[in-house]
Amino acid sequence: MARSKALMIQISTGDTRPIGRQIVDAVRMKIATGDLEAGDQLPSVRGLAQQLMVNPNTVAKAYAELTTEGWLDSRQGLGLYVATLRQRLSDAEREHRLDEAVQRFVNDVIPLDYTPKQVQERLAVELRALQPRKSA
Amino acid sequence: MEGEHVIETRALTRRYGRKLALDHLDLAIPRGRIHAIVGANGAGKSTLFRILLGFLAPTSGESRILGRDSQRLTPGDRGRIGFVNEEHTLPRWMRVSAVTAMQRHQYARWNQQIFDEVVGHYHVLPEQKVSELSRGERAGFNLALALAQSPELLVLDEPTLGLDVVAKRAFLESLLYSNVTDQCAVIYCSHQMEEVERVADNLIILERGQLKNMSAPDEFRARVTHWVADVPFKGPDPRTVPGLLEVQRLDGLHHYLVLDQSADFEAFLRASGAKNVQSMPVTLDRAVNAFLAKNHAAPAAA
Repeated sequence: MARSKALMIQISTGDTRPIGRQIVDAVRMKIATGDLEAGDQLPSVRGLAQQLMVNPNTVAKAYAELTTEGWLDSRQGLGLYVATLRQRLSDAEREHRLDEAVQRFVNDVIPLDYTPKQVQERLAVELRALQPRKSA
Repeated sequence: MEGEHVIETRALTRRYGRKLALDHLDLAIPRGRIHAIVGANGAGKSTLFRILLGFLAPTSGESRILGRDSQRLTPGDRGRIGFVNEEHTLPRWMRVSAVTAMQRHQYARWNQQIFDEVVGHYHVLPEQKVSELSRGERAGFNLALALAQSPELLVLDEPTLGLDVVAKRAFLESLLYSNVTDQCAVIYCSHQMEEVERVADNLIILERGQLKNMSAPDEFRARVTHWVADVPFKGPDPRTVPGLLEVQRLDGLHHYLVLDQSADFEAFLRASGAKNVQSMPVTLDRAVNAFLAKNHAAPAAA
């Protein structure tokens, strides 16, 4: 019997990220860290909405975005599942997005006056945390 | 079905003496979903509802609710509209069971299952008198009555005002996850942005009787940005700052909240002598409050 996996995420109001964005980010993070694996079933729209106490439409939109981006697969009548990992974007698009993200990051960091080494070290810590920690 | 709008007003105007409570208001609220209406005190919300529910006549203009002229509503039309206000006005001397029986009798589309489900979130006993219920229990009972009526339109006017966190949560849960609300449009007036952010599909902002915004809450939030710049001296005349909502000088830095400004705003700040310019997004609460307060911040920039 298919059972959805608990989705241990939090959202907060009064954040500059809208709630839908927070859900998308959190699910992607769970997939990136391996907390959610390919084939895991996600909670229903209503279930997650109730867990987070938000409008079900907000969850539905977040799920739709994740599905469009290829993170989730919809199985007719069964629900949503974590998709098998594959590259979802063209090489050119990947490069473009990476460029953009790096530029944004650099712009944000420059005025903070850290040395490049300090910034790199900090970044390395964050990226290491993203490596799948699969034990089995 | 009559059209796709539950509420439609055209050039709706209501004047109290020299003051315009509603100023040629054009509003079209589509069916379904949850619409939050936000506005400072005196923005015209109460006047709007009184006119829409037929308790007050407009000075000029038209208003339709569920496709009907709101000045000529029949009891049948009213049965299609649920209304919950902050006072949760119910006959205080009546017992819960008697109020329920009366409502069940009055509304043809009464849904007992929904009533039991919603009222089950609260410790409301049939033999209790309304006056013996706490504020939160009265709110829950009132919402259960309104939802059980299976309305096509549910108007909630500051429904959670004065409720404690537990009662508030129960109220929002009943509202968000009841099957009734799938089929009905909900108009939700609230000053509490935390709630608006959780529940609203659509954010309507009224100011001085005029419609100022109608979009998803997040789209509105994204219209407002917070800029910090080291503009020398007193900075540019507030009247010349494009889209200005709020300006503050903190520790020698100017903080600007502006509406609908692109990256060009940075050029404006640099032209005003700023060397360091940074921007960041704001929260919904901040965006709405700055918008509503803008007339305090810069009286000359209308």
